[in-house]
Amino acid sequence: MVSGGDVPYLHVVDDDAYGDWESVYRDNVDRLYRLMYARVGNRADAEELTSEVFTTALRPLRLSSSKGEVRAYLLLTAKTVLASHWRRRLGQPVTAIDPETDLAYLTQPPGSEPPSDAPARAARILEALPERYRRILELRFLEACSIKEAAHTMQITVSNAKVLQHRALRMAASLDLELAP
Amino acid sequence: MTRRRLSAIVDAIAAGRRPKRFRADPDDAEVVRTAIALRAARPGEAGPTEAFVEDLFQRLSEQANPPTSAELRPVPARRLRVALVAAASAAVLVAGTVVATEKLGTSATAPSATAQVPHGTVLRTGTFQTTRGRVLGQIVAYRGHPSWVFMNVDVPNYEGRIECMLQVDDGTTVAFGTFTIHNGVGQFSRAIGAVNVSRLRGAELVNPAGSAVAAATFAA
Repeated sequence: MVSGGDVPYLHVVDDDAYGDWESVYRDNVDRLYRLMYARVGNRADAEELTSEVFTTALRPLRLSSSKGEVRAYLLLTAKTVLASHWRRRLGQPVTAIDPETDLAYLTQPPGSEPPSDAPARAARILEALPERYRRILELRFLEACSIKEAAHTMQITVSNAKVLQHRALRMAASLDLELAP
Repeated sequence: MTRRRLSAIVDAIAAGRRPKRFRADPDDAEVVRTAIALRAARPGEAGPTEAFVEDLFQRLSEQANPPTSAELRPVPARRLRVALVAAASAAVLVAGTVVATEKLGTSATAPSATAQVPHGTVLRTGTFQTTRGRVLGQIVAYRGHPSWVFMNVDVPNYEGRIECMLQVDDGTTVAFGTFTIHNGVGQFSRAIGAVNVSRLRGAELVNPAGSAVAAATFAA
């Protein structure tokens, strides 16, 4: 038994808080990257933006905050970082992060795949397209074909494949708006 | 955005490359958004690589605990150049402020520059300007092992190749290299072997038609 004068200084470890910044990083980097990747569609930008979120967010981070608060803060930072990325890149808010609806990305239990609406959304769009439009987009975006390979598979010229892809994407974009939940 | 440019962006997205900068209109943004949604649905590519996760962890560790001098690692050449350009820019700004202050005659005390820029002819800087005095960029020449020259320029509405000519103090001009400007922005760096950095007088940027776009004079 510990005598009164030897009581060690203990502090309550809150299961709902992170102990250090490394825990914050390890617990969120995979999920945050996946969210960024879903919003930019390429590895280079997803890595750059994920890095920017952490380098921006970790310094002023208060570790006494709950995990939920830390994640909400990371998402807010990610929202700003992504918005500036599109402003610089295309001058338009092409994709965005919603700290409320996208919170599920960061709150999945460890070991489970973070949710992504990308496959279901892509399936909805593709199903609603005419056959040839659907095929060119499947070949190009899901099956990793070059435009030349896609043209060969569809037995059309490369020029026709480009035109077909352009029209298919225009229609898919309008369908994406209509089908958005 | 033209159809060709939009097509180039879509091709980049389909190939998993980062799209280049362009001014998109809202309709184009819808197309790009849909292309990203389709690309992001490709199986097996949504997660980060282990190398990225560990590299970022190392960088954040250094940010959280700056290394002591004994732990300093060599800075990659490109980052070193960018850092030197930034430092040189700061020195130019400080120098400009000093000149303005002295002209105003409001201070009799000697100014002190805080930027950590090497003295003498180790690092020399110049500002690219048009004949009308518009600033288009910077050039930095560094004397070391190896010596090199770095420049970054922002020439609005310019797209294509541009040649850099270095002027030496004996009046000769040396073709230093050609680089490409995309969307008005470009940068170029190259080691210089035989040219003595301390003897450089200036530089000139010339378009493919042979017309001067901008010129810079190295500070002494």
